[in-house]
Amino acid sequence: MSATDIHAEATKITDAKQRYKAGVLKYRQMGYWQPDYVPRDTDVLCLFRITPQEGVDPVEAAAAVAGESSTATWTVVWTDRLTACDSYRAKAYRVEPVPGTAGQYFAWVAYDLILFEEGSIANMTASLIGNVFSFKPLKAARLEDIRIPVAYVKTFKGPPTGLIVERERLDKFGRPLLGATTKPKLGLSGRNYGRVVYEGLKGGLDFMKDDENINSQPFMHWRDRFLYVMDAVNKASAATGEVKGSYLNVTAATMEDMYERAEFAKELGSVIVMIDLVIGYTAIQSMSNWARKNDMILHLHRAGHGTYTRQKNHGVSFRVIAKWMRLAGVDHIHAGTAVGKLEGDPLTVQGYYNVCRESYNPVDLPRGIFFEQDWADLKKVMPVASGGIHAGQMHQLIDLFGDDVVLQFGGGTIGHPAGIQAGAVANRVALEAMVKARNEGRDIRQEGPEILKRAAQFCTPLKQALDTWGEITFNYAPTDTSDFATTPSVA
Amino acid sequence: MITNPTGRITQGQFSFLPDLTDDEITAQIEYGLRKGYAWSVEYTDDPHPRNTYWDMFGMPMFDLRDAAGVMQELRECRKTFQGHYIRMVAFDSTRGIESITMSFIVNRPPTEPGFGLERQEAEGRTLRYTVKSYATDRPENERYS
Amino acid sequence: MSTPRYSIPGSAPSVPPRDPEGPGAAIAQAPDAMERARSVAAVLAESQVEQVLADLDRDLVGLAPVKQRIRDIAALLVIDKLRMNLGLQAETPSMHMSFTGNPGTGKTTVALRMAEILHRLGYVRKGHLVAVTRDDLVGQYIGHTAPKTKEVLKKAMGGVLFIDEAYYLYRPENERDYGQEAIEILLQVMENQRDDLVVILAGYKDRMETFFRSNPGLSSRIAHHLDFPDYSVDELQQIAERMLAQRHYRFGAGAREIFHQYLERRIQQPHFANARSVRNALDRARLRQASRLFAERDRELGRDDLTTLLPADLLASRVFAEGSAGEATP
Repeated sequence: MSATDIHAEATKITDAKQRYKAGVLKYRQMGYWQPDYVPRDTDVLCLFRITPQEGVDPVEAAAAVAGESSTATWTVVWTDRLTACDSYRAKAYRVEPVPGTAGQYFAWVAYDLILFEEGSIANMTASLIGNVFSFKPLKAARLEDIRIPVAYVKTFKGPPTGLIVERERLDKFGRPLLGATTKPKLGLSGRNYGRVVYEGLKGGLDFMKDDENINSQPFMHWRDRFLYVMDAVNKASAATGEVKGSYLNVTAATMEDMYERAEFAKELGSVIVMIDLVIGYTAIQSMSNWARKNDMILHLHRAGHGTYTRQKNHGVSFRVIAKWMRLAGVDHIHAGTAVGKLEGDPLTVQGYYNVCRESYNPVDLPRGIFFEQDWADLKKVMPVASGGIHAGQMHQLIDLFGDDVVLQFGGGTIGHPAGIQAGAVANRVALEAMVKARNEGRDIRQEGPEILKRAAQFCTPLKQALDTWGEITFNYAPTDTSDFATTPSVA
Repeated sequence: MITNPTGRITQGQFSFLPDLTDDEITAQIEYGLRKGYAWSVEYTDDPHPRNTYWDMFGMPMFDLRDAAGVMQELRECRKTFQGHYIRMVAFDSTRGIESITMSFIVNRPPTEPGFGLERQEAEGRTLRYTVKSYATDRPENERYS
Repeated sequence: MSTPRYSIPGSAPSVPPRDPEGPGAAIAQAPDAMERARSVAAVLAESQVEQVLADLDRDLVGLAPVKQRIRDIAALLVIDKLRMNLGLQAETPSMHMSFTGNPGTGKTTVALRMAEILHRLGYVRKGHLVAVTRDDLVGQYIGHTAPKTKEVLKKAMGGVLFIDEAYYLYRPENERDYGQEAIEILLQVMENQRDDLVVILAGYKDRMETFFRSNPGLSSRIAHHLDFPDYSVDELQQIAERMLAQRHYRFGAGAREIFHQYLERRIQQPHFANARSVRNALDRARLRQASRLFAERDRELGRDDLTTLLPADLLASRVFAEGSAGEATP
């Protein structure tokens, strides 16, 4: 089917008697397909990638997505006529085949602002990804991108701290922050755990981090962990003269438990607490409120996102999750490494970073950004690059992501042959040497390995790190890349 | 004596590298000027990690085109406060940033005694921590001589 | 201490191998093409300075002696560059200049081009021009002048500091004048920071000469004196035509000759300021043209009407009034 075939006429039934006769109508006849609709500045806009079942017309499928994510039910209901139902209907206004992928279509849908409760991610997602993803006429559906109108953005409080204020609190400027996840993930006692934290921070890292599944297990009760970790943090701060932190994971079974843990972290003087994405949107917004009230940086680990963000044909793109999390209000979010062990095409990952850090996102198809997004001065989220990265990739990381990012070298710190402090030194020296060289005007993408080699001449720990991991890369084809056709420019 | 691997206070962008030469400092200042930042020279003899307000050696320098003017201020600051910590700080006034964007130490006292950690036992096994500079037992301007 | 130790007791070796070239080597760059140049052609090709000289010739009316001096200076700079490249000359030559001449003779315009020439040949790093007068340098009370002067100097570094009517810095009638302080700071920088900026002092020729006589320290640091002659009537006419063309105006039938007559009379009168007076005269003529057209409410005005200055627009000037003696302004 060609694009022209798809752009079918509006087939909305305008005669009220016909429209509300009991029975089943096509979604497009009910008014969910409006090809001449011009989206309003206050509309929420969504781009879905849909895979209709065999024989289902893509326009009808798009109209169904609009219907099922807004007011429609499977049959005509007369009670619609008690409402200004035209406002409540989402409108599919454009359908195009996905370039180079047979059977898949991009469907653009506009939602009136009245459909959503102010400041509620739970409410927004209940509509947009509520029923529609299980809808039978579709084999698969994916929410690729979303435009949140400024009017709606302003109802969210956003990050409690934001990356600018975070830097001011930490007194760290002009370079990426350095972190590491304490390893092994599971099994360390509180006392042993604090040792790893102390070594990493004293060696030169800015942050250490609990892993997503470190909560309060038999081998280490949460209070024990917090006490030992904070001793390590303060000792390291005195040893270096720097502000240090460790993300204390307060994820727990109930909000009451999480508040209790967060309060204790605050009492001990931690600058940051951490939550996992799996606690849910409402819990995230509650913790964001708590963090704002208590001057705490809120770190979000995106645990679980891979179940619905990774496959291209079904689920929710991570750029949409990133937008929701910026609205919901987190200060850190894991957003991929592009060069590490976890999934991520470099351009697509840069798209996630831009969503977190820019005041305004222009349309940027190669990076998967389909809509303009004005963030209305909402604070910026610090993206975190974590998973299988090491000092030998420093030039690539800084070239891809710039300064506003936390680079987390877990194994790349703790696995250093000369110990954790040496691992931290290697990472910090590589980082500072690379930032310095970039500022001096060097082309770090090309000269990066040479710059690292030179730095290693005066820093043995870095030399050891490069000798150990220098050659390690994770080159697999990414599963989630941007699909777009380059249209010849008019000019 | 500071026992971290560098043997010194590690605040700022480049504390893990050998001290920057004047040419290297100039290159960093030029980078900031190209980005439209305003540079400032700040000094202190109390480098506590939470001592936010180091003293300003003159006001931030706006509308400069070349690093020479900034270097001149740095030279004068070094002459006046030889035994102090001195750092270069860059400000970006872009809407949505409006904060410091670069900061690095360019002068240190000959010896850096560092900090001690005082612990006060509180209820439970909770501890209250105070980071204390060994140098600040002495009055201002006599701390590193 | 200049180098972190990276020593971790009990683990890594405590004496790391030293960087053979020292820490500063990181930014030591290969000599650029300009430093490798061994012929005049190579310096010219690398600096593209001839383009600036050609533009200067084309864009500025008259000023033949000034243009010649600039060519001479450019030649000297090119040769000095070659001498420095071969190590025959270590120090940057003094480049400070004085531009003397009456108002409106193109001193600021030429200073801008000079900044560009110095930049292209590598004598200043950025090539911008900071133009100031006494008020920008000298303060009102004790302790005010030094920071003010230093601030201006910092902004000018990397480029050219142009001080117009420089003699106002020196007021011998008041021995506690703060201008002296500004001159002293200026002198220091002119002597010690030749690499960082070039100073151009400008003003009337006679007053500059007096100024230099009373401030021999300044005078001796000026490498090049350029004198800007007044424009001839023909040159002023040419300048006027260029100004009009830039703003989409032109002289109508007979107006060109009237303007020539206007200039002949005007240069005899006091307060004549060369190109600046031409600009003012044209501005007043535009006003009169506008009033003339405004009066004809119902007439359809075409391109010609809107762009043409008629003799009447010029003849109304007081310069043409019988027995006029004073300043011609409106």
